[in-house]
Amino acid sequence: MQILKKTKMNALKVARNLGPLGVVEILRKKKVTGRGGAGFPVAKKWKFAMDTDSDVKYLICNADEGEPGTFKDKFIMLKNPKTMIEGIIIAAETIGVKNVYFYLRGEYLNLREGLEKEIKSMLKKSESDASIEIVMGAGAYICGEETAIIKSIEGYRGQPYCKPPFPPKAGLWEKPTVVNNVETFVHIAQSLYFDDYNTNLRLFSISGCVKKPGIYEALSGESLTKVISKAKPTNKPKAIYFGCFGGCKPYKEMKLTAKNICGDDCVHGAATLIITDDKTSAVDMAYIISKFFTYESCGKCTPCREGNIQVLLLLKKLRAGEATKEDYELLKELSLHVQETSLCGLGQTSTKHITTGIKYFESEFTDLIKEDGTGKEE
Amino acid sequence: MTDKKIKMEKKFKIKLDGKTINVIEGQTILEICRAKGLTIPTLCKQPGLRSEARCRICLVEMDKKLVTSCSTYPSPGASIITKTDRVKNARRRNVELIMAHHTGSCNINEDEKNELCYLAKEVGLEETRFKKVRNYKPTLGSSVIRDDNKCINCGRCVDTCSKIQRVNAIDFAGRGFNEHVASYFEKNLPETSCIKCGQCIINCPVGAIREREHIDDVIEVLNKKKKHIVVQIAPSIRVSLGDDFGYEVGTNVEGKMVSAFRECGFDKVFDVDLGADMTIMEEASEFLRRLKDGGPFPMITTCCPAWILFMESFYHDMFHNMSSCMSPHEMLGMLTKTYYAKKVGLKKSDIVVVSVMPCTAKKYESTREELQSGVDYVLTTREATKLIKHFGIDFRKLKDSKFDNPLGVSTGAGTIFGATGGVMEAALRTAYELGTNEKLKSPDFKSIRGMKGIKTGSVMVNDVEIKYAAAHGGANVRKLLENAKDYHFIEIMACPGGCVGGGGQPIPTTEDIARIRGEALHKDDDKDNMRKSHENPVVKKIYKEFLGEPGSAKAHEILHTFYKKRSEF
Repeated sequence: MQILKKTKMNALKVARNLGPLGVVEILRKKKVTGRGGAGFPVAKKWKFAMDTDSDVKYLICNADEGEPGTFKDKFIMLKNPKTMIEGIIIAAETIGVKNVYFYLRGEYLNLREGLEKEIKSMLKKSESDASIEIVMGAGAYICGEETAIIKSIEGYRGQPYCKPPFPPKAGLWEKPTVVNNVETFVHIAQSLYFDDYNTNLRLFSISGCVKKPGIYEALSGESLTKVISKAKPTNKPKAIYFGCFGGCKPYKEMKLTAKNICGDDCVHGAATLIITDDKTSAVDMAYIISKFFTYESCGKCTPCREGNIQVLLLLKKLRAGEATKEDYELLKELSLHVQETSLCGLGQTSTKHITTGIKYFESEFTDLIKEDGTGKEE
Repeated sequence: MTDKKIKMEKKFKIKLDGKTINVIEGQTILEICRAKGLTIPTLCKQPGLRSEARCRICLVEMDKKLVTSCSTYPSPGASIITKTDRVKNARRRNVELIMAHHTGSCNINEDEKNELCYLAKEVGLEETRFKKVRNYKPTLGSSVIRDDNKCINCGRCVDTCSKIQRVNAIDFAGRGFNEHVASYFEKNLPETSCIKCGQCIINCPVGAIREREHIDDVIEVLNKKKKHIVVQIAPSIRVSLGDDFGYEVGTNVEGKMVSAFRECGFDKVFDVDLGADMTIMEEASEFLRRLKDGGPFPMITTCCPAWILFMESFYHDMFHNMSSCMSPHEMLGMLTKTYYAKKVGLKKSDIVVVSVMPCTAKKYESTREELQSGVDYVLTTREATKLIKHFGIDFRKLKDSKFDNPLGVSTGAGTIFGATGGVMEAALRTAYELGTNEKLKSPDFKSIRGMKGIKTGSVMVNDVEIKYAAAHGGANVRKLLENAKDYHFIEIMACPGGCVGGGGQPIPTTEDIARIRGEALHKDDDKDNMRKSHENPVVKKIYKEFLGEPGSAKAHEILHTFYKKRSEF
């Protein structure tokens, strides 16, 4: 696996020889993109922060991996932390950052001690004057969001805020701030040192109805069947959920390109594949995921706070066989509304699983509508 | 209060509802639309503050996407549509979702004052299809009561408390649909650093926060008629009470106001302006004494009880800077129960003093142990309106009448106490003339007037340059106090605009409304024959007959107080 290849301080040497602009140029040429989900080009993000005039700048490593079914960052922090830290040091020196914050997911407390040791020894070895401080999350899913992470580190409620200003212009304590994901830093280090570095290799977190859930590396554009066959599905797969927020698609042979699986209704995100089989109903999945988002909504904006709880109540009614046709229509309407009008990425994707679930498995939903509802009497 | 940075203005073109218009970079869509006369409904947006875009009601369509107009800056060439069905439906649905939570405590079609209900009508919502999912118990405080069942999480109170007042007594707690406004560790408000300014009340669109009312107690006292009941009215009430009776903002209704209270059954109607004149006499002489003794400077005014709480919580090193004077209505209350009682041959316990104040903190002030208050009940302007309506008085048809003697004669200096900078201006008029034995060329100190957050100036008194300053609104206060040492004399009011923008004023009270009321008070001062507190004949008489000199032992016993430290949290 490419992700496990270690750069052994060589990438840092290369970076120091190249200088900041040289590093950015290589990242641009090798098309290194963010691995948190949005896929924003790293070089572009860094350039924004580098071009902003400020004596203090910050770097945040986003290790708040809260997406259900996603565990690639944990895998990296356990298997290849040195290369990741090297990537962080390269980033700090390139952007001109003295203080780096490593925002670790609250549930990953057991990783903290090991990481601290690695960070200490790597900083010593590299003779870098940057500091890397681990900040523990407290378990909120929303704190993986770029602006919420900033608020959380500042000591405020971990809630997103409206952009602009974008973090590379004014983020942590109003200073230029770059937020990158754990996996991204490994790619940064590797892209500088390995000539055969391939930016198209992605880490797929596969779970659900499979015998061997885990991390699988595959080229973007690989056949879906081929990728998930490695994880050994227990039965014939029925649907693929791209994490909780990404929505779902019926299982069929397709190429795992960003275009193909993101399409217009799903979000590719952090390459999370949750496989369900025929025994799992789409409505049950919708209910479980809805429960998750109702609990994890930060509560800041109306559609996400009030909308998700109403969606959950409607799904509950549906599962109990008490929903009328009107309720079903309201569910559809509200799901779309939450996506269209919420403030941050969480709200905007929190009902994707319902809109896509209804799109592809509509009969499973409509079968549960109360028989004597409106429409039949006429 | 927005500090606009001077920078190069970039202009570009956008399309607004099909028309191409020129806009300046850095304007939100909402600002652009409002400048063009387009109305867009808003709820959580507060003027002068950075939008948090919580409520998601001011939606418009920009390049086929729904965006909140309050927080979105259009890029060149953007196409914005404000009136499609998609926009209208989305706005209505968000109001509907909010309503689901609020319903049960208010009726969409009945409550006119409720901004949310008004909004519901504006977006064409008749009833909500959603169920209420939360239930809370109301929390009670000595000045402020909160009912989370009505709260719709718009965050205006939180923004006000943290950004305008910089008190940070409340913030959101809980997550998802359990998010609610709370204080530290869910303590009751009186146990926190809340300064009881009531700004959260006048900014709440649904009445989820309100003052603890004492109106029933007052009605009971009035109906029993066993005691001599005196009402005393704060300077700013005369320009704000009219709002609730359909007068234009800033109309001076002093004459009708006095008649109305007399109709309610109060035996005497006194003017707190006189208390203000007394405060000036004491404060100015305290200042002159400090000038003679060489300090300590700056001396800071103490008319505002919310500011007192602010200082007691956050500025523990400033106790010696505070004047020891009570606030005007407390002074007048004490004089009513001593000087006036003696004059009319009544015992202290036979008199009930009711203050009508623009302020919720005054309710708390009258319970302070430190000053053994002469005031029995404090009503806010809103409660005063209710009281007048309770007695079925047709306010607009009343004839004008005058305040009662002897405590109803006042000067223009007392009147301007209601506006920010007014106390300072009044104090300077008296301090200058008493300190120099010369007449001021003009009693106007214009640099200290107006709605600017921090106002400064200087005047020569006996070859000493006295530097003075005034700040209003907690955020400005904190800013000014960073450089407190640069000044001799500082006036502080906790509410933006001073008492005319107080937390007890009619809803709505905005900064603009406060400015208009302040200007009305200054107009009143301009017309007054007596514009200096030391020229007030009643003040002179009180000192001659009762107190002796300003700052005398007797004056100190009756009119001065002390302060105590409070926790910052």
